[in-house]
Amino acid sequence: MATFLIRRLIQMVIVLLASAIVSYALLYLAPGGPTTGLRQIQQGGRNSITAEDIARIKARFELDLFLPYRFTRWLAGFPSGPITIGGQTFFADTPAGCAIPGQVRLRYPDGTSEIIEEGCEEYVTFADLADRRTSRGIIFGDFGNSQVILRDRPISVLIESRLPYTLQLMGAALFISILIGVPLGIYSAVRQYSRFDYVMTTVSFVGSSLPTFVIGIICILIFAIAAKEAGLPYLPPGSAVALSDYTVPWIGTVESESTLDRLLHFIMPCGVLVFVNIAGYSRFIRSGMLEVLRLDYVRTARSKGLRERTVVLKHALRNAILPFITLLAGVFAELFGGAAITEAIFNWPGLGRLLVDSIERTDYTVAMSLTMVSIFLLLLGYLITDILYSVLDPRIRLS
Amino acid sequence: MTTPARTRPASQWQLIVRRFTKHRVAMFCLYILISLYLVSMLAPYIAPYPRDEISLDRSYVTPMQTSKIGTFHVLGTDHIGRDFFTRLIYAARVSLTTALTVVTISTIIGVTVGLIAGYFGGWVDNLVTRFIEFISTFPTFTLLLIAGSIILQSEQAIPIPEILTKIFSFLMAINEREARQVVMIVVIFVLLGWTGVARFVRGMVLSIREQLYVESSRALGGSHIHNMLTHVLPNAMPPIIVAYTLGLSGTLVSESALSFLGFGIQDPTPSWGNMLSFANSYMFNYPWMPLVPTLPILVCSLAINYVGDGLRDALDPRVQTEVRREQRDALLAAIRERSKS
Amino acid sequence: MKKQHILRRAAILFVAAVVAPMIAACGGSAATEPQVIRETVVVKETSAPIVETVVVKEEVEVAKDTSFTTPHPILGDVKVRQAIAHCVNRPELIKSVYPFLTDEQQQGLLMDTFLPKSHWAANNTSIVSYPFDPEKGMALLKEAGWEEGFNADGLPLFLKFTTTNAAFRQTWATVLEQQLKDNCGIAISRTHAPGSWWFGDTTGLSRRDFELGAFAWVGQTDPGGISLYACNQIPLPSNNWEGQNYMGWCNETASKAIIAANNTLDKAERVKQYAIVQEEFTKDMVSLPLFNRLEAAAANKNLKNFKPNPTEYYTWNVEEWELAGKDTVVLAFTQEPASLYTLVESAAVATTAAGLLSARGVTSLDYDYQAVGMTKLPSIGDGATNEDVEVKAGDMVWTTSGEAVALAEGVEVTNAAGETVVWDGSSALTMKKLTVSFEMKPGMKWQDGIPVSKADYELGYKVSCDPESGATTFTFCDSVATFTQESDTKQTLVFHPGVQWPTFYTGGFGASPAHQVIESDGPYKGKKLAEVPAKDWPTLPEVAEKPLSTGPYKIVSWEKGQKMVFEANENYYGNAPKIKNLVIQFYEDTNAAVAALLTGNVDVVGTETLGAGAEVETVVKAAEEGKLQVQTLASPTWEHIDFNLFIK
Repeated sequence: MATFLIRRLIQMVIVLLASAIVSYALLYLAPGGPTTGLRQIQQGGRNSITAEDIARIKARFELDLFLPYRFTRWLAGFPSGPITIGGQTFFADTPAGCAIPGQVRLRYPDGTSEIIEEGCEEYVTFADLADRRTSRGIIFGDFGNSQVILRDRPISVLIESRLPYTLQLMGAALFISILIGVPLGIYSAVRQYSRFDYVMTTVSFVGSSLPTFVIGIICILIFAIAAKEAGLPYLPPGSAVALSDYTVPWIGTVESESTLDRLLHFIMPCGVLVFVNIAGYSRFIRSGMLEVLRLDYVRTARSKGLRERTVVLKHALRNAILPFITLLAGVFAELFGGAAITEAIFNWPGLGRLLVDSIERTDYTVAMSLTMVSIFLLLLGYLITDILYSVLDPRIRLS
Repeated sequence: MTTPARTRPASQWQLIVRRFTKHRVAMFCLYILISLYLVSMLAPYIAPYPRDEISLDRSYVTPMQTSKIGTFHVLGTDHIGRDFFTRLIYAARVSLTTALTVVTISTIIGVTVGLIAGYFGGWVDNLVTRFIEFISTFPTFTLLLIAGSIILQSEQAIPIPEILTKIFSFLMAINEREARQVVMIVVIFVLLGWTGVARFVRGMVLSIREQLYVESSRALGGSHIHNMLTHVLPNAMPPIIVAYTLGLSGTLVSESALSFLGFGIQDPTPSWGNMLSFANSYMFNYPWMPLVPTLPILVCSLAINYVGDGLRDALDPRVQTEVRREQRDALLAAIRERSKS
Repeated sequence: MKKQHILRRAAILFVAAVVAPMIAACGGSAATEPQVIRETVVVKETSAPIVETVVVKEEVEVAKDTSFTTPHPILGDVKVRQAIAHCVNRPELIKSVYPFLTDEQQQGLLMDTFLPKSHWAANNTSIVSYPFDPEKGMALLKEAGWEEGFNADGLPLFLKFTTTNAAFRQTWATVLEQQLKDNCGIAISRTHAPGSWWFGDTTGLSRRDFELGAFAWVGQTDPGGISLYACNQIPLPSNNWEGQNYMGWCNETASKAIIAANNTLDKAERVKQYAIVQEEFTKDMVSLPLFNRLEAAAANKNLKNFKPNPTEYYTWNVEEWELAGKDTVVLAFTQEPASLYTLVESAAVATTAAGLLSARGVTSLDYDYQAVGMTKLPSIGDGATNEDVEVKAGDMVWTTSGEAVALAEGVEVTNAAGETVVWDGSSALTMKKLTVSFEMKPGMKWQDGIPVSKADYELGYKVSCDPESGATTFTFCDSVATFTQESDTKQTLVFHPGVQWPTFYTGGFGASPAHQVIESDGPYKGKKLAEVPAKDWPTLPEVAEKPLSTGPYKIVSWEKGQKMVFEANENYYGNAPKIKNLVIQFYEDTNAAVAALLTGNVDVVGTETLGAGAEVETVVKAAEEGKLQVQTLASPTWEHIDFNLFIK
């Protein structure tokens, strides 16, 4: 077991690194960044932007460095300048980036010529890096600074402010949907083709057939706007807390930022997520249970005269839950990643929204930080699933 | 020597078909799906108006109403007077074909990879699993964004075989330029979609292969491919079918979600998703508008789910146990024969 | 045995079904690759191109560059451009985006030139206008040699149209596509790119990667325009893509006029020069102006004194707002400010929020300027002088391209007579030298009660002009020869000879609280703001998140992703705001913000949040029903289609 764990951990680190490199390279290719639109706002004479201005902004946000150095600096804060060993400085003049790209003219025999960017006119050297601010690196917990969304301020500020809300929403939604979905699935399987089963099937199909944003908008229209107009108790349509006190029929005055206020704001986004999740979970459990319930050993157990409850819960469930575990591998990443669309509809200040925002507004340092944490949690989830598998199913040997 | 008459494997399928046809809801849904697809395939003949025809004199016509200029619209018109019914059936072609292609290809890849990993185990499994993990960490939005912008810089930058765009533009009744973009989205969906299937098939196979009948078949020296296809795959089939149907409706829904975030198939190529996300911003003034594209998504997705349900019931589990027993009997007979020789 | 055979065959088929597409995909790309290479290698060449390195600044060499010198086969012809202008039914485009406006209102948004009709410099008389007239368009096309979609060489009349993926652009572009096709047989293929590509620094528009390109310019109080229409502002690889004349339009008359218009302080002269530019602009039809965007600002109907203006942020008179029965006013934003440090962030949301925290020197209502915190707007002879000075070699002067350099032979400047001259190194040269003094009203204090002092302004100047400060542009700093803060209220700027900012009177450098003690953790904890180097200012919470206020409000908290909370600043030297608290709530989309406005959770949804989409219609309708108050404005932002006159 110990050797398995160690080997598995090493493998995880390798996959993590590979994923980080690929994601980083992909974002490197993506257009945008802090210089987007700058050339278009230079309209007025007083605000003119020159190529030097662009170069300075690029230097400030490290956009002028070569990809490998940018990556290592982001990952581990290295290199932060020339390397000094025993008082001797190495690599001081080694280029780490390109401040001004070179231009090469291609002259064609027919007399025309064309200038293309190629090579480098002025390099950024390791020595130049010493004057720059360097993050400690994401593996040491320093996410670096945001480029667009919260210009020049640490990304950790952004994450810290949103993490609690995401954990709250995703955690509760997940917990409740498992709490409801699993028993529903079992019950539907045991009472296959009963009226209950049909109703549950339909409800869960509807849940998985509608995009979240449609459900969300319908909920807002019914429970927030229509209910309020009808003088019935209503739910606030969005945000995590109210800005001022408000009165809800039957409940009375709700104080802004009180627990009740937070709870009322929480119900709709959480409800939508639960509704959608239950659909998938209960179907999966139902299908697994149906399969297992017909197996010989369950029949044997029944024929032994064991109580149905024991048969279902103790014998059948244990096996039926096996594929379900694979489904849960992504849970950690899901908890952190948030639900972008639900958060957007209900204006919930979570991390899912932040990721979509950061990609839309091309703040790639933020996008990369969030992606990296998600990747880590996803891989961690896979590891835990593997271990759980072996615990639950002794037939699978860890090797 | 005469060989005793054996039931052909085909009869299993006959059994399954018979069982499926008994599931009335599923059959009904299957008819709905087939007719929907047929209607969408005949779009150019059925559609009352050209796909992209606009006219500001007939914008925002409510369903079942006649516009100022005397045109009748079953499902109304959008903000620039495009007929919703026309666009919906063209969109059906795009959305359904996208979903079908994506899920079929990713299931084939996923099942193959999962089967191999789970069946062989050991280092093969380890390598494949790590690779699956690696792929499944790719960020979806980012990929879509980058692919989109690379295509913008040069349409030839991403080499999409022309035959593919030709096929898609034929299937979806769109021009080849629009098809390129759809193909891109399909490729990205497939690239990220197959890992889920692969992981879960691998899990299933891991537990199935430990079971007696596989072990004994292997002891008999049956080839790996034979074992995989005859013993392992059929046993893993019901959950795969459930996953397939869930995947179909899931793709329909996530295409619309991506459109909502602005990363999906772009207008003027109509898809249910982008029609919905467009109509969404008019919900205060024209509340019926978002409902129009929601309806086909809901109907189609529901129907697919019911068909999947029916299929699962038809394949599973009594049939299976019987098949399994039959197989086991056959195996035992084979072992006995062998020990004789 | 037979069964096994069948199965094996099935298995092979199955594997083939999986592998074949992969092979096909790989094979497909392998097959296309040689084609690509063949394309990149230069056409029909016998010998390889000579590769030589170019020294970037050497202009003589660079002038030979032939990229963007081949006229576009279709758009290079002015007749085709004019035909397109006649074939586009612009009122219909407006109608497609703003169907809820009356015909009259729609007409009011129509643009014929690059300035809105009501602008002081607009030329409404001698410009060429292009009313919708498909017959004339067809006739022009025919004259240009295009018939039934083809020319004599069999070239199809087909153009690529590029713009952003904003919903309202998709709407009018769809209509445009149909108009061009139905009216004149011009086929366009639309690409709706993400803004990050279209407005990227090295992609899309910046690299002139378009044929027909649509976007909007944000019109400003001062018409400016040099970088848009002057000959030397055409972005090319040889000038590092500087300038915004994306069309590649070089009309000597217009170019001279636009430079002249921006090198004089005489308003009458400016009007005259702008009239020339507009005349040429419309005659050449290099860019088809479509319409001013409609903007709307909506508010709670009980909010008094809510007076949004097209050229000023709607919070300009926030201290006069009144809201009966409530002591909190809630503003909705759909984008969170990136920073409250306006030196590094100039997005509308950031400027609006930061504007609450600073005492205004001037306002720019109705395409003009008004003194607020300043005692008066300086003018020549009253607070400012613009004298002729003789310059000699080595003196710092301002060149026509907007740089401060030491005068030497070959430097191109504008002389005192307003002519562009290249100095020969010896002859006498007289240039205009501008000196301005700004006098602020006395009594301005920081929110902690400490008066704004001379040291604060000096710090403000020092930081704003520090090259490490993170600011995006230093053009204004570079144009200042000397900065003198003479007292706590008076600031004098002397500009380099040749600097003629038309809007010199709008203000100088702002103040930064030199006395503020840094309380946040970090290397500067306990130090004073004045001791922090400029390059670290943007990362300081004291600067970026909770700056000290001199304005009507002060910031209490900023919960990221949720809201900013402000309260009235009791040390504000102007009239105390009538509403005690102000909250800016962030919403993910405009729909949600409008919903909140309708349910009363939000009091104000401003122009930058309402945008130009479907939500405008929602609030306009709600206002008609008496639920809200809405002000619709013809925004200074105008949509247009640029024609790229050249191909790469």
